[in-house]
Amino acid sequence: MLNPNNETRGPVIDIRNVSFTYPGSELPVLNQVNLTIEPGSFTAIIGGNGSGKSTLCKLLNGLIPHYYSGDFEGEVHIHGQSTAQKTVAQLSRRVGYVYQDFDNQLVRPTVLDEACFAPLNYGLPDYKDRALHALELCGLTHLQHRYIWELSGGQKHLLALAGALSLGAEILIVDEPVSQLDPSHARQVYEVLQELNQNHGKTIIVIEHHSEFIADYCQEVCLLDQGRVLWKRPVTAALNSLDDLERLGIQPPEVTQAAAYLAALQDTNIPMRWNPNNKQAQQATYPITTETAIPYFQRQLQTLPNETPAPWVSTRSLSADDNHQPDNQRNPVIQFNGASLNYRTIRKAERTVLYGIDLTLYEDERIALIGNNGAGKSSLLKLIAGIAKPSDGSVAVLQQDTRSISIEQLSRDVAFVFQNPEDMFIEDSVRKEIAYCLKRRGYPDADDTLQRMLHSFRLEPLQDRDARLLSGGQQRRVSLAIGAAIRPAIMLLDEPTANLDLATREELLRTLEELNQHVRTVLIATHDMQLVHRWATRVIVMHDGRVLADGTAAQVFANPELIRRAGLALTQSMELSAALGLQPPCGSPIELADRLNRILTGKEIHPHAARPQLV
Amino acid sequence: MQLVRNWFNKISLDRIQLELMNTAYGSGHASLSRLDPRGLLIWYLFYAIVPWFLNSYVVLAGMCLFVIITTVLSRVTPFIIIVLCLGLIGQVGWLFIISLFFGGDISSALPLLKLTLKLSIVSLASITVFSGMDPEKISDGLLALGVPAAFSFSLSYGYRILPVLFEEFRNVLLSYRLRGKAPERHGVLYWRLGAYYLKLLVYAFFPLMLATAKRSRTTVEALETRGFSYGMKNPAAKKLKLSHLKLQRRDVLFLGGSALYVALLFWTSASFI
Repeated sequence: MLNPNNETRGPVIDIRNVSFTYPGSELPVLNQVNLTIEPGSFTAIIGGNGSGKSTLCKLLNGLIPHYYSGDFEGEVHIHGQSTAQKTVAQLSRRVGYVYQDFDNQLVRPTVLDEACFAPLNYGLPDYKDRALHALELCGLTHLQHRYIWELSGGQKHLLALAGALSLGAEILIVDEPVSQLDPSHARQVYEVLQELNQNHGKTIIVIEHHSEFIADYCQEVCLLDQGRVLWKRPVTAALNSLDDLERLGIQPPEVTQAAAYLAALQDTNIPMRWNPNNKQAQQATYPITTETAIPYFQRQLQTLPNETPAPWVSTRSLSADDNHQPDNQRNPVIQFNGASLNYRTIRKAERTVLYGIDLTLYEDERIALIGNNGAGKSSLLKLIAGIAKPSDGSVAVLQQDTRSISIEQLSRDVAFVFQNPEDMFIEDSVRKEIAYCLKRRGYPDADDTLQRMLHSFRLEPLQDRDARLLSGGQQRRVSLAIGAAIRPAIMLLDEPTANLDLATREELLRTLEELNQHVRTVLIATHDMQLVHRWATRVIVMHDGRVLADGTAAQVFANPELIRRAGLALTQSMELSAALGLQPPCGSPIELADRLNRILTGKEIHPHAARPQLV
Repeated sequence: MQLVRNWFNKISLDRIQLELMNTAYGSGHASLSRLDPRGLLIWYLFYAIVPWFLNSYVVLAGMCLFVIITTVLSRVTPFIIIVLCLGLIGQVGWLFIISLFFGGDISSALPLLKLTLKLSIVSLASITVFSGMDPEKISDGLLALGVPAAFSFSLSYGYRILPVLFEEFRNVLLSYRLRGKAPERHGVLYWRLGAYYLKLLVYAFFPLMLATAKRSRTTVEALETRGFSYGMKNPAAKKLKLSHLKLQRRDVLFLGGSALYVALLFWTSASFI
């Protein structure tokens, strides 16, 4: 929707017939791209891996063609001026860029220095005011004298943003803010972006594949496929283009999926209404945010007759508890006895990250450790792996006190897969990477195991490549194979779904199933609630170094107060089912649609419908 | 044996990182940190060069006393002092032992003492400067004294990525340990274990370099978008960057005092010996 005022000012970004090929590459990354962006808009750029999203954004601050010398064709205009005649330095004053690995973008030791850096380079006398103003916009004023390494991931991201704002850039490009941050920090970043967009008139472009965030914050969506712009549409229409999104492996918001599934189910339910030529079902506009989805589904439920008498019984709430055997019949594998952990910090202060943890983890459990950043999830994993030793209390793994044995000994039974797979790579090929431990420790059937691992993690075609140069999902598979190769009794995974696009994430879930054949107990630290819901048999909620709750996924998700206190975000399906009064909440859109369909066809009774009879 | 083991536990990477960061940035309250970096750098230049050309014990001892005081004022961490002492004793002790082999006796200790004094003065002066000022000030001071911007920036950037590098290094080492095999017997004085760790340190270097190279791609690009290379060629930017440097009364007092003290030392040595 074009604002008439904007028409007169013209587009702030105008890309015409741009093609670009990186030096040394055969295929063009961008292929005849045409795109205009209006001032003051909030646009998301989506597309599969390698579709040219980042390259497109590098056109805007002149890195292409000035910094990357490839084959460049076409024209890019910023504020009506061609980028060909401007330098990167000139363009950067108008276009700010926040990288995906924003940590490497920060070059100064303190927050204020970092914010001053760019204006100082340009020799702007009011650099300090600019820096302070930028920090204020990003809500970092109170941290201005802190060192960078004392900041959390979210704060670092905001600082990278402030660094770009300090030059007074009118256009801000943010590359995948959600992938490196936990959900609550990501939301914080988006809130700031929204504020900048609405109250300060900044034009914002995000590269994003989390459609929930796009639905909540963006106005327009531009879809890229193999270096081409397929379309640019207003957000509601864009996220309802289900066919295109599905084809490119981008998941629409869960509520949209649920609505689409439900519509499809209803079509098959009522053959009289079914009409193959009726394109309406596919063309229909489904809700894209939870706020719009609640009234949408409530309207559908209101069509129900209200006299259904039977008390509503949950169909699923007990199933999750089925595998909870009495504790005395199970084998404990990990025991925490009042374990605490302290770290020393730069100012010679001690910081406690875990307070007196008492926990017993049993064999054959799939445990999800959830909590926001800084809750102590990683520290707990490190205690189990023996990487950190408890400052107080004790941790026993398979009846051995972790303080009495070395990491090398403990790691025969416990595999630890780092959050960042790249940190695990010490060899120059995938094959050597997996074989390293098998050879070094002289496992008897090393070659067989290696072959089996390569096969079951689908790494055979990649086995001679350097693992550092693989894509995110492939790297993750290598890291899991490294961990599983030694057939550990316990496997610890730190944020395995972080930084993965959704197709890769699905693949990871399949890989986790695969893992169950190799490992007895798996512990995952994550804030991915969908993963928790689909995979875990036991959920431990951590907050501020303490265990806040411990139970089944159903028990934990049924307690919104708990989730809120732990700083976690429920999936849209869960939120929606809670708002519609469905207990226990549904974890996935398919489940939700199915449930609603059964209610609508009278196979299950809706609690709200039953309630008038009970009161 | 337990003692050696405890030592191994004490020398963790975390510890070293912490001490280094404390040395670099923990100096916010040290009284020397308020001095102008240019003055302090010139002062350092004097103390780093002149002692090599001196022979008088009095002057050397006096200078040594002075830098001991400034070292205390710079609030250096004990860790650095321990490293320094180990280095000095190791270096000079070694020379002394060799001199005994070649027919020297206790009298050869005296010239070695002089060498020790000279080394101590230079080392302590370095510690004073590098521990008493944070890298930002040193970098600004160097820039003001005409060192190229790229060099002075890389000094302060080096400290910025130090924690990042340590983190990376720790992870690589950990990867080796989590998938490797420690020697089963520790050997006398844990020498096998020591050799194992040293070997790991060497192995870890290559993966660390690759990881760093990958990181720096973003950094270099980001520097470009933030006008760094533009600022390097821009004299106005340099002037603005250094405008906060001002020679104050305390700088004059410090430099003047030092000069007076050294002059006094020379006079004493000349008139009494």
